[in-house]
Amino acid sequence: MTTVSDVAAPAPGPAPAPSPVATRSDHRGSWIPTWGMITTRLMELRKRRGLMIALIAVNIGIPVVFLSVRLISHAVDPKSFGPAGGYSIFTTLVTGFMYVFGFVVAAVVGCTAGSIDLTEGMFRHLVITGRSRLALYLARIPAGLAIVIAIVAVGYTIVCAVCVFAAPTQLSYDGVNVPAGLSRPALDTWAADHADQVICNFNFHGGPGLSQPPPNVTCGGQSIGPPPGTVIRTKGGGTFTVPAAESQAQIRAFAVTVANQDYADYSSNFLSPSTSLMVDVGLWIALEATIGFIVGLGLASLMGQRTVPVILLIILELIMVPIFSRHVLTYMLNVQRGIVGVAMAHIEPGGLPTPFSGGGSGGGNVHPLIPESTLVSSLVIAGWLVFWTAIGAWRMKTRDA
Amino acid sequence: MTAVTVDAATKRRGGDGGGDGGQWAVETHGLTKRFGDNVAVDGVELLVPRGCAFGYLGPNGAGKTTLIRVLLGLTHADAGTMSLLGHAVPRHRDLALARVGAIVDEPRFHGHLTGRQNLQILAAAREPAAKTRIEPALERVGILHRADDNVSKYSMGMRQRLGVAACLLGDPQLLILDEPMNGLDPGGMLEMRDMIHSLVAEGRTVVLSSHLLDEVERTCDAVAIVDKGKVIRQGPISQLLAGSSFEVQVECSEPERARGVLRGTAFDAHVAVSSDGLDITLPEGTERDAIAEINRLLVENGLSVYRLQHVQASLESWFLEVTSRLGESE
Repeated sequence: MTTVSDVAAPAPGPAPAPSPVATRSDHRGSWIPTWGMITTRLMELRKRRGLMIALIAVNIGIPVVFLSVRLISHAVDPKSFGPAGGYSIFTTLVTGFMYVFGFVVAAVVGCTAGSIDLTEGMFRHLVITGRSRLALYLARIPAGLAIVIAIVAVGYTIVCAVCVFAAPTQLSYDGVNVPAGLSRPALDTWAADHADQVICNFNFHGGPGLSQPPPNVTCGGQSIGPPPGTVIRTKGGGTFTVPAAESQAQIRAFAVTVANQDYADYSSNFLSPSTSLMVDVGLWIALEATIGFIVGLGLASLMGQRTVPVILLIILELIMVPIFSRHVLTYMLNVQRGIVGVAMAHIEPGGLPTPFSGGGSGGGNVHPLIPESTLVSSLVIAGWLVFWTAIGAWRMKTRDA
Repeated sequence: MTAVTVDAATKRRGGDGGGDGGQWAVETHGLTKRFGDNVAVDGVELLVPRGCAFGYLGPNGAGKTTLIRVLLGLTHADAGTMSLLGHAVPRHRDLALARVGAIVDEPRFHGHLTGRQNLQILAAAREPAAKTRIEPALERVGILHRADDNVSKYSMGMRQRLGVAACLLGDPQLLILDEPMNGLDPGGMLEMRDMIHSLVAEGRTVVLSSHLLDEVERTCDAVAIVDKGKVIRQGPISQLLAGSSFEVQVECSEPERARGVLRGTAFDAHVAVSSDGLDITLPEGTERDAIAEINRLLVENGLSVYRLQHVQASLESWFLEVTSRLGESE
């Protein structure tokens, strides 16, 4: 092609008077989003019916259905079905469900917020306004978190309320209904008054000064301990003959001894979660949801789409974190420590069973968490939040619209 | 037309965030954008005067949309300088775009939101006063009655109108509309044309990128022709057409003999026989007196002339002429 060289321009028109907008700064280049940008972004997410239904169904609907079924079952047949609330239900719901699925749903919201302008063609309109791209990105964070945290908070509040107000009235400890929250002397007094139940059901650990065998108490129609007249060789080398019948005082004293041995274990059992535990767990779940949202937002912004980031984050939360938090891979230990889910497991509030043990006690065959200090865990969490925010913002700034 | 050389324009250029005092609504110098080995915008020198409707014409793939995307900061330029409303871009992009409204490609919006809600999102990213312009903008583009319907229910033409409404939120001095007639029915095209005229009448500048030559000719005061990334002509339409060839249609008896008569004259004419006469193409700059001279020659040679008409050169014929010349010279 030959370029025509005599390109001539039309005459310029009259220059209009400087406009008020052009001469007055409206901080359009500032990286700080305006309140209006945040509220309209909130509206945009809130109006996504499918997303909101999924978010509410997982964080509110499923716990509500689960608790409702338990409430109704207990109301209809209290002997067959236990109370709907209580400490164990709380820990089961929190660690077995809300923690993990709160993250997943928050990640879906984050991925949506991070990609939808691009895929629906609004990104271009927004860039043309001249507004800082960084501000456009940052406006999504408070807007998305306002939705995610609010819904998680509602679901969590319902769980807490049911677990507190529908908690069992008596603690079932080793199969015995025991008043909850007793002090050591109070438990001793209770044990003396219920000596047979204590001796028959509580764990007896023996130990120094307790060389005597259990007295001859009948449990369920069967005697426990050696029969009367049995000569027992004691640890000191002497002998002891089981008396024909224990005195009531001896039985009460033995029950008190057993109760004393079990007090530490008893005191870790609660009818309902304490206020401090609920606050701590609430903050912990909120942080997990925040991480899910921020990582989803950054990853979706980086990739420019929603589906693949959602899949990756589900794999991270449901597969990688449970594996890497408990199985030490010698050459990858520091990589394992750098996974945010592992760090979050390390800072879970005391009084909860460890996550990813199915809401159970975390004991038994479950491996312990890989070693990591609280400081390192905190740094890992902060690092993930900063890194993914920076990555998402960088891609937003450099992406062709 | 005042021919302005690039050098002179460069000297006048505000170019450094000087603001709305610049004389050109759009000014580019050596603007280049590459995609790998493909040069989509090739050293474009473009001067768009203020207060007019300016057509940016080119065949598909000529680089029209890419230039617009570069101007608006949607993608970066590889070389060259540019300014919008006298503000250097990208250095003062925020100031420049504060008074610019644009539609690039097909206008797309959040389908699950209403037209009004989409505009609220865009207004929030502009200055506070933009929020008060939502209703007037919707009314102006004629979709106020559908403003509370979800955009997913809008036709293509309605989305185009919503795109124009989005442009108006910033009370723009410059509107850049990429193929704004796409999806519009004839009535909608007429309304769009009227709207563009009214915007220009208000002192705004409208840059219209299109391949619909007829629409551009009806709507715009000046045009630039772009092909393969280069601006090959620009100027007011009337002046560009004045430089094109001079065509005369003749309805007469014995067309073949008439052609022979005209061949033997001093006219440097290209004469073609058509179904009802002759199509005569005369060189650029031919005076109207040539029509009378042709008539005289034919009559003197005993031919009956029934009709003799000067055919006004259209932008389309001129465009094809320019591009075909380029094609021949390649």
